[in-house]
Parts: sequence; structure tokens; C-alpha cells
Amino acid sequence: MILVGIEFIINAAILNLVAFSRYDRAEYGGQIFALFAIVLAAAAVAVGLAIILSVYRKHQTINPDKITDLRD
Amino acid sequence: MGVLSLLIFLPLLAIVVILLTPGRGAHTLKYTALTTTLIQFLIAGYLLLNYQTGTPSNFADISGYQYVEQLSWIRLDLGTLGLLEIDYFIGVDGISLPLLALSALVILMAIGASWNVTKSRKGYFALLMLLNLAVMGIFSALDFFLFYIFYEVMLFPLYFLIGIWGGARREYAAIKFFIYTLLGSVFMLLIIVGLYFSVQNPYTGGHTFNMLYMMNPENYVPGSFFDWVGNSYQVFGIPARMIGFIVLFIAFAIKIPVVPLHTWLPDAHVEAPTPVSIILAGILLKIGGYGIIRICIGIFPDSMAAANWWLGLIGVVSIVYGALNALAQSDLKRMIAYSSVSHMGFVLLGIASLTAEGLSGALFQMVSHGFLSAALFFLVGVLYDRVHDRYIYNFRGLANLMPQYTAYIAIAFFASLGLPGFSAFIGEAFVIIGAFNAETLQTGIPRWMAIFGSLGILLSAVYFLWTLQRMFFGTTRLKGGDRWGSALSDLSPREKLVLTPALGLALLLGVFPSLLFNMMNGTVLNLLDLISPFIFG
Amino acid sequence: MNVNFHISPELGSLLVVLLPFAGFLYQLIAGKQARSGLIPSLAMLVSGLISVAFVFPAIWNKTPFSVELEWFTIGQYSLGFGLHLNNLSVLMQLVVCLIALPVHFYSKHYMKNDPGIHRYWTFLSLFCTAMLGLTIASNLFMMYVFWELIGFASYLLIGFWFDRPAAVQANKKAFIINRIGDLGFLLGIAAVFTTYGSLNLLDLFGPDGLVRGTSPLSEGWATFTGCCFLLAAMAKSAQFPLHVWLPDAMEGPTSVSSLIHAATMVAAGVFLLSSIFPIFNQTVLLLTAIIGCFTALIAALFALTQHDIKKILAFSTVSQLGYMIASIGMGAWDAAMFHLTTHAFFKCLLFLGAGAIIHELAHFKSNSGLNFDPQNIQFMGGLRRFMPKTFLLMTVAALALAGFPLTSGFLSKDAILVHSFQWAQQAGGGTLLIPLTLSVVGVLTAFYIGRMIIKVFMGRFHFQKETEQTPIQEATSGMLLPMGFLALGSLAIGFSLHPLSYHQAYILTGLSAATIATESSLIPIVLPIILTLSAAAGWWLGWYWYIRQRYPFSESNKWIAWSANQGYLNQAYERAITNSTLRLSTFTYWIDRNLVDGLVHLSVWFTRQLAFTSAWIDRYLVDGLVNTTAALAYQIGHLLRGVQNGRLQNYLGFAFTILLIGIVYLIFK
Repeated sequence: MILVGIEFIINAAILNLVAFSRYDRAEYGGQIFALFAIVLAAAAVAVGLAIILSVYRKHQTINPDKITDLRD
Repeated sequence: MGVLSLLIFLPLLAIVVILLTPGRGAHTLKYTALTTTLIQFLIAGYLLLNYQTGTPSNFADISGYQYVEQLSWIRLDLGTLGLLEIDYFIGVDGISLPLLALSALVILMAIGASWNVTKSRKGYFALLMLLNLAVMGIFSALDFFLFYIFYEVMLFPLYFLIGIWGGARREYAAIKFFIYTLLGSVFMLLIIVGLYFSVQNPYTGGHTFNMLYMMNPENYVPGSFFDWVGNSYQVFGIPARMIGFIVLFIAFAIKIPVVPLHTWLPDAHVEAPTPVSIILAGILLKIGGYGIIRICIGIFPDSMAAANWWLGLIGVVSIVYGALNALAQSDLKRMIAYSSVSHMGFVLLGIASLTAEGLSGALFQMVSHGFLSAALFFLVGVLYDRVHDRYIYNFRGLANLMPQYTAYIAIAFFASLGLPGFSAFIGEAFVIIGAFNAETLQTGIPRWMAIFGSLGILLSAVYFLWTLQRMFFGTTRLKGGDRWGSALSDLSPREKLVLTPALGLALLLGVFPSLLFNMMNGTVLNLLDLISPFIFG
Repeated sequence: MNVNFHISPELGSLLVVLLPFAGFLYQLIAGKQARSGLIPSLAMLVSGLISVAFVFPAIWNKTPFSVELEWFTIGQYSLGFGLHLNNLSVLMQLVVCLIALPVHFYSKHYMKNDPGIHRYWTFLSLFCTAMLGLTIASNLFMMYVFWELIGFASYLLIGFWFDRPAAVQANKKAFIINRIGDLGFLLGIAAVFTTYGSLNLLDLFGPDGLVRGTSPLSEGWATFTGCCFLLAAMAKSAQFPLHVWLPDAMEGPTSVSSLIHAATMVAAGVFLLSSIFPIFNQTVLLLTAIIGCFTALIAALFALTQHDIKKILAFSTVSQLGYMIASIGMGAWDAAMFHLTTHAFFKCLLFLGAGAIIHELAHFKSNSGLNFDPQNIQFMGGLRRFMPKTFLLMTVAALALAGFPLTSGFLSKDAILVHSFQWAQQAGGGTLLIPLTLSVVGVLTAFYIGRMIIKVFMGRFHFQKETEQTPIQEATSGMLLPMGFLALGSLAIGFSLHPLSYHQAYILTGLSAATIATESSLIPIVLPIILTLSAAAGWWLGWYWYIRQRYPFSESNKWIAWSANQGYLNQAYERAITNSTLRLSTFTYWIDRNLVDGLVHLSVWFTRQLAFTSAWIDRYLVDGLVNTTAALAYQIGHLLRGVQNGRLQNYLGFAFTILLIGIVYLIFK
């Protein structure tokens, strides 16, 4: 769910970039940056999925409430 | 280096030698101690012989003292409090020199009595030498701080000597003695500091611990705590100078000891080993008397003149109370301890009388009691060494078994009870005469004190003779039967060697008291000059 | 013999004292070897000769001599030691020498086989030195020194047989009671010193003496001073109530009893009072007279029923000393000294005779195997057949004691009694009781000494049968010769040319007291006659009762028992004084142990409680504060550690929240 959340955040940011590119008719910066963000999001997801797989291998769960090794 | 310093610090050399000697060298230890004390004794004799009598002098002035050594010792800058000035200032006069010589003799006797000590000889002799040093220092010191240092140093070896080599209740006796004496002396330290800040060195202008300057009213800073004139300081409603006198008196009164501050003495004397008892009775008690004369009268003559009635009363009470207690004892050593309390009561009465006869008698009694009580304790020790029992009722008819011992102890008893021909008689007789005369001279002692004090002479005859009769005369009957009978051998040559000089000296001074009086008279008269303005004022 | 050989009286007196001292030193050093007593006896002989030949004639009725050297200086007062020779002191010195000499010779035989005889000679020489020193002392302090030393010598001699419990109880008692007197003497010295500033006898009592008229101190203190010296004399001369040591002192050897407790030491009190007579005021003198008189009476009453021969003589001594002391109290110290001198001779003789009897009876006892007390007169009787010479000599002495005419005792007793009547006539009031009592005592004296002589020498010996096997010997000549010498002194001839009138006695004419002028001339004639007749009647009565066995009193008569038990005084003293002093001392020790030391322990307890409280405060309050702070810190930490729960999302949440707050803060700043 955290990954989904992150995807939502990134997608929201991409959407905003595309929406505000309307004000940049000359260089279409927003849309270019949106393309970058999409790629990065994909990369992040890949890394995130890898982390989740590693975490699952170690803790047998992906419920962050149950992964409390860092607690005092 | 002066002769007096040599006398004081020679034991230091002995301590070093003793500590460096290997444990098996028992002979070396004993002989080192013996040699040192012998040399000290000879030095003391030399000092006695070369003492100039009859030179006009002043008690509060350095001209009244001989063999003086004064070196500046500590000069510490205390910032706003000025320059701390402590001198190594020693000297003797007609009062301290006989006591110094007495100490040398008594310590020699104590070494003689220590000949058969077996436990931890090294520590024992080292501590004894330290005590030796301290005692010599106390009698010579003329700087108050130096006096205090020696006074405290004296306590330390005694605690161990009693606590380790003593009898059954030694730890109790040692700590009682130590804390009781320390209580007195810590308050004395307060007064010392107070005096320090009240006195000014006339030459350098700074504060000083010099006792002689403290005896002179002109050296006092006006408005200081212990100033002589116009002093309005009070503690609990008592004038400051009187408080100073009282505190110092209590410190020395514990040592004399006077009733009711005496209860450490029976325990300390009884539990201490024989040589330590000898030193306790022979020397330490005199430090109290000496302190009162030198310090209480010397520095606070005005308070002394006002308070001498109380001192006389305490003296009389000590005499009678001590004697009655001695009568009730069934332990021989405890009886002699209480008799010491009684005889030192005479000393206090004589001092309180503030007459020439009374003071001289008191000083004479101090010296005489020194070697007589040393002899008495030694004699008790002889008996205890043989059978490890001192209970009077366990012995009867010892004269048949130990005739020479009986002769010595009979002489010692008769000398102590004041038989003419022996020194104690001169001391006690003149204390009574002086105390009686005091009313005529208006020093503040009423005649009835002399009359009651003389009861002590009667009571001492009672308890001494009763003991002689109970223990030595009559048919022989011992608690330990034949086992004791074979153990009770007569006096050995070593024991006779220790006893004969003491008893001989008692006889010599009894027949020729001038030997001592010639030395003392000058200083006593000086002292009376110091205090006379305050007696009649 | 070189007639020009002369020793000055001062040198002579010095030698008289130093020779016995040399004897003492010799005995001390020689120890057990010196058993013969030759040196002490020789020393005493020479002393006696010097005293008789050189000292006495040079000073008696001639110019007195006084010299003092400095002994020591105390403060500013210089005390001296020296000689003071006047009629009184040389008379006393002569008496001591003349009595000590026969006793020395007698002792040689009496103490012959005693294992401790070397000690005996040592102590005897010490006594003689001290007694002779007392007689010539030049100041009161020096007198006091010798005074105590004679008490010390007496202690040593009474307790000579120190393994006998009775002897060592007696000598302790003697010394302690004497100490009471010494206390008085010392206080008297202090008082004199305070009053007059000097202790020298010449300064005080000489022709220009300081002591004259009224004392500079108040009347009360003058009486006190006199009473102090009276106390001293009462103890030494065994006056009531301090007389109890003398009967007990009979535990010592009889030769000692004769010298010390009959003639010389006990007379020292009389000598002292005579020497310092001007110091007494009327109050003290009256007190002295009363005490002396009472002592004389009560001792005579005790002597009437004693069975021990030495105790009879001891009480007789106390009684005669009472005469002397009373005489001093009435002002006639010269008569007192006269009686002292005559009494010394016949009392010493009586004791030596008693010693001879005891000696021979002890021999008889060991030879015959009987078991009886050789000193008890009930076991004697009829001894005049066995010991005729002893009988004769003792009878002479007894006659002197009883005061029959032609004896010296008659003269001296007469002197005292007549004077006492004259004194009472002048003093008036109830003082007549004193001379009357003294006269009655005179009769009693005659009776008890007659009783003694009769019971010992007359009648039949108690163990007559056994004497057939083991007869009783007469005393050896070694004992009889000294006794004979003393008997000469018991006769009147030696003392006065006129044997019946004391007015011409040499001693009385030599010593001059301020005697009262003879008022009534009847008494000096009537009184001696009455007394002599009463004495004779007393002796007849004694013979009637004891020899004719017409004893009127029953065995258990209360008065007899009272007298025989010395008035139960010893028991009373035991209870009232000895036991109460011991109880007081035990109580004092209890106070010391529990109250005084209790205070020390209380302060220790208090300090320890203080220490415990302080430790408690430290542990639970002060340290508690520290611990509370620590716990607080821990709890806060504990609270805050909940933040670290290991949950990633919570961490992110917190971080975001804080960031948000920070931005809001920055916006609003």
C-alpha cells in the first residue's frame, strides 16, 4: 500500500506537471518533465518492489506495523 | 642545631632505624630504643645542670626562657588574611625543664618495662618513639601552633599502643581515651585561631601564634575577640576571654584529669600495657597541669584570677572523690589509677591557690607523682606479668613469697601517701599550706578547701595501707594455689634496675627539695608577678 | 681519760641523732647477717653517753641554744632545718636515750631466736633516730617530718610479725589513726604559717616570740589552730576517742611496746603540746583538760577487767597519758613533763617485766605441751616463787604507778593532782569535777595494777602440777639488768632530794610553767595522804578478792563485760566509721561508673543516635532526592521512547508533522 501511495503521489505530481504545462506553450517543459517523472516512477516502483520482496523474504509480511526492528 | 631540638627529634632517628630493621632483629629494636632514650636522658641531665637559676626575668618575656631556639617556619601568604606566621619556637623555663627531665626518666622506665614485649615489636617501639618525640615537643613548644601539633601527634601513637597491645577491653579504652581527649583539643584549636587573629607581632605587625606575645596585653589588636580591655564580645552571655579560658581549661582538665572529666582514665590505664600505663600516668597527666600553668594562667591571667575559686573546688572534689573511688576498687591497677586522679587533684588545688607555696607545691607534686606513679604501675605490671591477675582479693600474704617486691611496693605506697622523707610529702604539704594561706593573701580560695583537701592525705593512707594489709601481709593464700606460688618469683635484676632510680629519686627529692625548688622558684615568682595585678584588681 | 675531751651541745645533739641513723643504715646494708644488733646497741650507748655527759649538763638550766640552716626556699619563704635546745628538748632527749638503752639490751635477749631479728634492729634504729630528731627539731615542719616518721617506725614494728593477721590489722589501724592526728598537725602548721609567717620554734616561742597574747587572726581561727595541734596529740598520745590503736598495738613484740607505746612515741604528743604551749587559748586548754581527764577515767575503767597482761598495761598507759594531757590543759605542762619522765621509767619497766613473764611462760608452754595464752593473767599466779627478781622489780614499778610514797610516781602524780585542785579553785564552776575524777582515777589505777601484781605473782600458779616436770625459769640477767636500771628511775631519790615533796624535784624547778600560786596549803598535805590510803585499800581489796577468792561479781556482769570489751568502742567504730566509709566509697564508685561515666556513655549513645538519624536522612532523604531525580529522568525518557516504535510510517508521519509545523511557524514569523 505504501508503494501504491508513493505511486499516487508521483502520479499526482505528473498530473500537475502536465496540467500546468498549458502555461508553457513555447518549451513544453511540463510535458517533458512529466515524461521524465513517469520513467522515474517506473524505476522507483521497480526498486520499491525489490525492497518489498527483500522485506518479505526477511519478515514474512509486508505490514509495516509489524516491521518494528528499529524500535527502542 | 640546639640541644633542645636534639632532645626532641632524636627519636625520629630511632624511628627510621626501627622501621628499617628487619623483623627478626628484636634485639636491635630494643637496644635502639634504649640507647635513644638513654641519650635523651643524658641530654636532659645536661640541660638541668646548665640551667641558670636566679636570673631576673619575666614570665611573658623571652628572657625568662633558656635554651631558646626560634626559627621562622611557615610564612604563607593568605591574601586578605595576611601572612600566616608560624615559628619553630622552643624554650624551657623552671616549670617545663623539670617536667622534660621527668619525661626522659619515665620513658626510660617504660622502655625498661617493655623489654619482654613480643607482639609486633617494630610497630610498638616505633610508636613509642613517636610518643617520646611528641611529649618532649609539648613541654618545649612556645609557639601555640607548634604546641598543638605536638599535642595531636601525642594522641595518635597512644591510640594504637592501647588498642593493639592492651588488655581485654582495649579497643573500648583506646577509642574512649582518644575521642575524649580529642574533644577537648579540637575546641582548643578554635581558641588558638581566635587568639591568632587577636594578637599582633610587635615587630612585624602581622598575626602570630607566638605564645609569649599572647601573654602580653599590649600585643592585642584593639577590638579583637580576645582583647584585654574594653572587650564586649560575649558567647552565650559569658565574656569572650572567659570563654577562651574555660575552653582551654576544659581541654587540659580532661588531661589532668579532673572530676568529672576523668572517666577515661581508669579504663585507659587499666587496659593499657604496663609501659604505656607508666607513660600515661607519669607524663601525660602532667601535660594537663603544665598546660593550665603555661597557657591558661599565662595567656588568660585575668580570667584565672576570677575563676580560681571554681578550680579550687574542682581540685578538692577530685582529691576526695578520687580517693573514695580508689578505696572501693578491687582491681589493683584501677585503684592506683584512681589514686592518680586524687593526687592530681592536689595539683589543681595548688595551682588554684595562686600562692607561691601552693604553686610550687603543685609543681613539685607533679614531678614527684610522675616517677612515683610510674614506679607503682611498674610494680603492678610485675605482678600481672607473673600470674595475669590483678584482683586484690586473689592474693594474700605475698610478703612471704616475694619479700623484696613487698619492700619495694611498701616503700612506693608510703612514698605515694606522703610520708615525710619522700617527695610527695613536700608537694602535698605545701599545697595544703599554700591553699590555707590563700585566704590571708586574698587570692580567692577559702580555708575550708584546704581543710577538705587534707582529707586526701588521710584517705590515701587508708586505701594504700588496706591494700598492703590485704595483699601482702598475713598468711599466704593465693587463688591460683601452688601454680601461682611457683610463678611468683621475686624481682629480677632488670625490674630492680627500673624501680630503684625512681624510688631513690623520690627519697632524694624528699630530703633535698631544694634541687627542684631552686629551679622552679624564679619562674613561679615570675608567674605570680604576671597574675598579681588581676588578683586584687 | 683526757678530761679536756669536750663536745659542744650542738654537735652532741647532732651525734645523738646521727648515731642511731648510722645504726639504721648499717642494718639496712648488712641485711640478714646483722642479727646481733651490736652496732645499733653500741650506737645507742654512745648516744646515751653523749646526751648524759655533754648535752644535758650543758643546756639544762643554762642558756638555750638554737641554730637553723637553710633547707630549701619555696617562693620567697625559706624553710630551715636545725637544732633547738632548751630545757624541755634536752630533757626529752635524755628520757628517750635512757629508756632506749635498756630496751636495746633487753631486746637482744628477748628477740634472740626470731628469724627476722635483723629487721627488728633496723626498724628500732629508725625509730630512735626519728624520736631523737623530734626532740631537737628547730621548726614545726621539721617536727612534723619526724613525727610522721615515728608513726612509720611504729607501723613497721607493730607489724613486725607480718604473717599474723592480728598484727597487720593492728599496724594499719595505728597508722591510719595516727594519720588523723598528722592531718591536724599539718593544718596546724598551715594555720601557724598563715598567722605568724614563720614556723621556727625560736621565732615563735622564744623570749621575743611572735606568739604572745591574742592571735592576729580571729578567736575562731585561734581555737582552730589549737584544736589542730590538740588533734595531733590526741592521735599520737592515744587520747579518747583516738585511743583505740594502742591496745591493738600490743601485737608487736613486748620490747617494742615498752619503748614506743609506753615511754617515748606516745609521749611525743605531750612533748608537742608542751613545746608549743603559748599558742593555746583558754577554750582549747579547757577542752584539753576535759579530754585528758575523760581519757584517764575511761581507760582506767577498761583496765580494771582486762585479762591480757599487756592490755592492762596498754590501758594504763592511755590513762596516765590522760593525766599528762589534762595537766597541760590546766596549765601545768611542767608537771606533765615530770610525770612523762617518771612514767617512762616505771611503765617501761612494767612492760619489760611483762615481757619476761610472757617469754618464760612461752617456754613453759612449749616444754610442757600445754595449750594456753601466755599473756593471759588467768593462767598465771604464784609466779613470785619462780621469778622472784622479776617480782621485786615489777612491784617497785607497780608501787610507782599506784603512787605510793618514796617512788618517783608519787612525786609526779602528786604534782599534777595538787595543781589540778588549785586550778579548779581558781577556775571555779564545774571544773572541780576534773581534779575529783583524776583522784578517783588514781584510786582505780592503784586497784588495777594491784590486781595485776596479785593475780600474776601471788596465790598459786594455775598449772602448778606441770611445773614439777618443767619448771619456770627466772628471766635471764640480760633481761633483768635493764629492768633493774629502770627500777632505779622509779624511785624518788633520783628525782628529788626530798622524797615526799615534789616542789624540789629537779625537773619541776628546771621547767617553769606559769603555775598558779599555792592558795590552799591544806590540799598538798591532805591529798597525798588520802590517795595513799585509798591505794593501799585498793591493794588490800585486790588481795581479798583474788587470793581469798571472795570475788563479788558474777561472771556475766554487764559492767564487767562492758569494761572487758573496751566499751564496745572498736565495734562502734567499725560500724560507724569503717563500714560507712567503705559503703561511701562503694557508692562513690557506683556514681562514677554509672552516673559520671554514664554521662559519657549517654553522650556516646546520643552521638550515635545522631549519627544513625543522619545516616537515615542521608540514605532516604538526600540520596532519595538523587534517586527521585534519576527516576524522573527515567520516566520522562520512558514516556518519550514510545515515539521509537520501529514503524516506518509513524516516523514519516512525525517527520512530516514537524516539518509542517516548522513551515507554518516560518510563514507566521
